Amino acid sequence: MDLKTEIAEPLVSDLAGRTLGAGRRYRYCVYGLVIVSDTPLALPEYSHGGLGELEVLIAPADAFRAALEGARFLSSPGSWYRYAFLQDGATYVRWDGVGEFLVAAGGQRILCRREDTASSESFQVYLLGQALSFALVKQRLEPLHATAVVVGDRAVAFLGSSAFGKSSLAACFLEAGCRLLTDDLLLLQTSSIGVLAHPGPPRIKLFSKVAARFLGPTAAARPPMNTDTDKLIVPLDQRRSCATPVTLAAIYAVVPPREACRMPDVSIEPLSPRAAFIELVGGTFNRRLVSADRLTRQFSVMTSLADRLPVKRLAYPRAIDRLQDVRARVLADLE
Amino acid sequence: MAISFSARVRIAPDVLFRLVGDEGVLVNLNTERYLGLNASGARMWDVLSSAGSIQAAYDVLLQEYEVDPARLRADLEEFIDALLGQQLIETPSGETPDPA
Repeated sequence: MDLKTEIAEPLVSDLAGRTLGAGRRYRYCVYGLVIVSDTPLALPEYSHGGLGELEVLIAPADAFRAALEGARFLSSPGSWYRYAFLQDGATYVRWDGVGEFLVAAGGQRILCRREDTASSESFQVYLLGQALSFALVKQRLEPLHATAVVVGDRAVAFLGSSAFGKSSLAACFLEAGCRLLTDDLLLLQTSSIGVLAHPGPPRIKLFSKVAARFLGPTAAARPPMNTDTDKLIVPLDQRRSCATPVTLAAIYAVVPPREACRMPDVSIEPLSPRAAFIELVGGTFNRRLVSADRLTRQFSVMTSLADRLPVKRLAYPRAIDRLQDVRARVLADLE
Repeated sequence: MAISFSARVRIAPDVLFRLVGDEGVLVNLNTERYLGLNASGARMWDVLSSAGSIQAAYDVLLQEYEVDPARLRADLEEFIDALLGQQLIETPSGETPDPA
């Protein structure tokens, strides 16, 4: 990967007065954001930006301990995922076995530390997904919980919660020659010419069986993401991923598997703007940061999207052998 | 319903409404709850929130819709009850009466 480096300035001090981020800086673009990092990330080199900028810095463990003094955790003590809202407006999040992150109040910086037991790939999944979502919301952006693929010259998004099958369906589209735009987190930008979908990291999280079926045996020959899942992180090359924003054609809200299991066939149902709004709000990526200001912004963003975009409910039986049928129905629907 | 048709209702503070297509969506920023309205509900909301009284709103709607007057009255009462229950409207005194 061709990395671009810049002179390290300005420097940041942690609460103990130590300088962070000295040395090389790497500049990337993801979700329409410019990311300046003091550590290499598996992202395309910087080519465009516009929605915002974010700094990512590695920090030592005691920098986080100092920041957390007196903090009240909002998650269960035994949970592998813990988070706290700090008095200065920053947010701390941690996943046991992965790492910890401190997102600045304004979302312009993330301090992070990878645990020794976590792979760099796994760590970056959480950095550029869950942790980054806090920064996006703090920067007044509204990420959706969606996976998007590029069909021809347009993007198609699949909206739904974790384990709804979005990534598996996207893998089926990759098998047909489509490219991944983003997996799991989608950032949209409305413009006068349409709604733009911004690219995420060039990788997809899949179960081994799905990876082998649609991307080949080599894609499946990887270790699991972490000890709590069998999912793999499958990097995608330029042939299978898209690194530039694409106009969004439609959003398909995926019906939960427990509801779809009773359906024998694939079903696509256009939604009224009202129903589309409810689906979009339900598909927000980060539900932890709640305030009147955010709700107001979310209300505005989602009503605007519901007014401008076709949003449809997609239901299908959850069997890997049926995904090609689903793909065919969606492609026909897009025509 | 505990409220008289001579009363006026107004949008509660911290409630946002927006038309999407010919339907409507609302959010109460305090309760963090959303409500979707179909086309008829969106029109009822629009008329109720701008009319001088519930009776005046009823009269406007009766002119617009080919519906049995008693049925419209019952639908309007049910609608107002739902809005009160969700704390989306209030009476001019500032209190939100308990729905019947």
